[in-house]
Amino acid sequence: MAAGVAAWLPFARAAAIGWMPVASTPMPTPPQDKRKAQDGLIILNVSGTKFQTWRTTLERYPDTLLGSTERDFFFHEETNEYFFDRDPDIFRHILNFYRTGKLHYPRQECISAYDEELAFFGIIPEIIGDCCYEEYKDRRRENAERLQDDEEMDMNNDVTPVNLTFREYLWRAFENPHTSTLALVFYYVTGFFIAISVMANVVETVPCGTLPNRSKEISCGDRYALAFFCLDTACVMIFTVEYLLRLIAAPSRYKFMKSVMSVIDVVAIMPYYIGLVMTDNDQVSGAFVTLRVFRVFRIFKFSRHSAGLRILGYTLKSCASELGFLLFSLTMAIIIFATVMFYAEKGSSASKFTSIPAAFWYTIVTMTTLGYGDMVPKTIVGKVFGSICSLSGVLVIALPVPVIVSNFSRIYHQSQRAEKRRAQRKTRLARIRAAKIRGTNAYMRYKQNGLLIDSLEEEAGQALVGKAATPPFESQHHHLLHCLEKTTNHEFVDEQTFQANCMEISVMNKSGSRTSSLSSSPHGLSSCCSRRHRKKSSFSLPSTNNQELSTIQIRERPVANSRSSLNAKLDETVPLKCDEPYITPSMVSLSAPVVTSSDGDSSTTTAYSQSNIVRVSAL
Amino acid sequence: CGVYLCTFSGVEDELELSAVRHRPEGLEQLEAQTRFSRKELQILYRGFKNECPSGVVNEETFKDIYSQFFPQGDASTYAHFLFNAFDTDHNGSVSFEDFVMGLSILLRGTVQEKLNWAFNLYDINKDGYITKEEMLDIMKAIYDMMGKCTYPVLKEETPRQHVEVFFQKMDKNKDGVVTIDEFIDCCQNDENIMRSMHLFENVL
Repeated sequence: MAAGVAAWLPFARAAAIGWMPVASTPMPTPPQDKRKAQDGLIILNVSGTKFQTWRTTLERYPDTLLGSTERDFFFHEETNEYFFDRDPDIFRHILNFYRTGKLHYPRQECISAYDEELAFFGIIPEIIGDCCYEEYKDRRRENAERLQDDEEMDMNNDVTPVNLTFREYLWRAFENPHTSTLALVFYYVTGFFIAISVMANVVETVPCGTLPNRSKEISCGDRYALAFFCLDTACVMIFTVEYLLRLIAAPSRYKFMKSVMSVIDVVAIMPYYIGLVMTDNDQVSGAFVTLRVFRVFRIFKFSRHSAGLRILGYTLKSCASELGFLLFSLTMAIIIFATVMFYAEKGSSASKFTSIPAAFWYTIVTMTTLGYGDMVPKTIVGKVFGSICSLSGVLVIALPVPVIVSNFSRIYHQSQRAEKRRAQRKTRLARIRAAKIRGTNAYMRYKQNGLLIDSLEEEAGQALVGKAATPPFESQHHHLLHCLEKTTNHEFVDEQTFQANCMEISVMNKSGSRTSSLSSSPHGLSSCCSRRHRKKSSFSLPSTNNQELSTIQIRERPVANSRSSLNAKLDETVPLKCDEPYITPSMVSLSAPVVTSSDGDSSTTTAYSQSNIVRVSAL
Repeated sequence: CGVYLCTFSGVEDELELSAVRHRPEGLEQLEAQTRFSRKELQILYRGFKNECPSGVVNEETFKDIYSQFFPQGDASTYAHFLFNAFDTDHNGSVSFEDFVMGLSILLRGTVQEKLNWAFNLYDINKDGYITKEEMLDIMKAIYDMMGKCTYPVLKEETPRQHVEVFFQKMDKNKDGVVTIDEFIDCCQNDENIMRSMHLFENVL
């Protein structure tokens, strides 16, 4: 991030002079830049190919091999260069990362070789730039799939979290049948019964031979009425049970009832119930027969079982405009040609073209090149226009179809890509957030370090805490942020603390305490909070995902806002002698390896790790 | 038809590129005009050229670079004011000479020069007076850089209050504007400000 523009840091710091007249509090002291004239060229010999770069370029990323003291292990005394026995082609990309701040993935390289090089040089692959990230992830996934042939990639779906309620478990079983064997069995059973039901509907109408006292053939459905009725009943019972279970398990019942699949389910089982309710009289039997037609909708229940059917349905829905255009243009053409044919054939005797609507049928049959032959033009003019009609029919029908097909393929690929992007967006946002949090935490740590060193220096006259080799860029950047804080008299905090503060403030406002009156000085609010914090004896530990809890420390809160508080600090920040102990949560952020080195150093002396600062300013 | 369009836009791009390429004056001249040594100028130019290969930085790039130092907040407004402060000839782009002149004042100039530069920064319309509105804009820009997650929580009227404090201190004759003399006078009498002026002297 900022390391990519490390060369501009001196400018940003110089521009900070613009804040000085505005600030009301003194600025913190800048870090000592011990290594001043160290900008030299470094020669990196990678298997014979020599690369050269500035030392400062490499030191932009101190948590990698080349940027830290780890490279000293590879220093070759005789030739005064750093020798690495690695692949020079891939090293080119790694070195470019230091130069430009962006890591690229070369498409012609093997993914596992590239990963190995990255791991060797201590670069995490997550910082690959957006231009190459998709490709990198794709190749990586393919590689992993190749290695693990038997296991499924989404094994994690099988891991059932134990704390699902029965309702959630049921819903999950319905939506992903492969989560448990029971769900799978249910899935196949319903599929089977849908097929049976549809087949029964079809077979019902087949003529099955004659009854002995009748000459007319009756259908199988009438002959074995009872059998078909029982079959129908069984199917409908299964469907009803399934529908009710889904309704119960649905997280949002209203949304479920509005969805297409549930409408299909209802339409599939309603005719049976209506038939049960209605009595067997002739008046309504006509309507009853019509209702049986709706039973065929059961076949649409198969779309739960087939993803392709769903995509097709979605395509048709989204191609509605193209389909509409097709319909519209066809209608236009039909009307034109029907009119023409009607007037052309009006003269001929015994013409079937009795009216324009009657001519519609001819036009449709001709344009779709069906040509039944039940209506044919007899006059010459009629035949001429008839041929024009059939020729143009080919064109008009053929044109929109490829559009629809290409739409289908576009939508299909789009849904694939959208899913990929959605999955990546979450990780990308998480990366950005993690980087932000890392930066904030690093900055908090810097402030802690600075304050402790100041106080200990005052006490003992020398820096006791061996500050870990925080790179000069980092410490200067933090000093800059610190100056901004002093200018505005506000402090940077990370998100959790901020949320906690907001909640506390809202609670306090509700109780109508003194914070409701806005004090004129910016310190007013903080002093109220500080008084409240002193009363609290324990903090609730904010829960975060990627931070571990280290030991809960009892230590004094360092106060730091004015010069007078420095004296107060002397009394308070000696760790082991404290009158008013606070219990503060201290968290170690896992993110950067710099953490571990500074932790290692400081643990020997004061055994404190960076704490989530809810600052108390004493005034 | 498509080919013609491609070549046309290609020519346009080329023209645009050559128009904004800029090469700085020689090292000797810059050494004479600024208070930097040769080596320091080399280091500065390398960093400058890395981010702006064309030799000039326009406002967008400037905002981009400056924002990377303040990820928690929105640094674009303040970067805009900074850009205007560096772009002394107001031609919409900061060349390396502008850049280095500005830095020379900030890092190696006398206190008088630095205060002058700060006054120039605050005086948005460069008329010689800092009004309350100008100061409020600057203050809001500074507070924007802090972002949302601060302690104590940033309020709507915090910049305004800060401006009031500033004016109370600086505006001696209470006429509602701060002139350069009032500003320099007041700053020279303030110990904090004087000390902080020397803060960044060994930055390079």
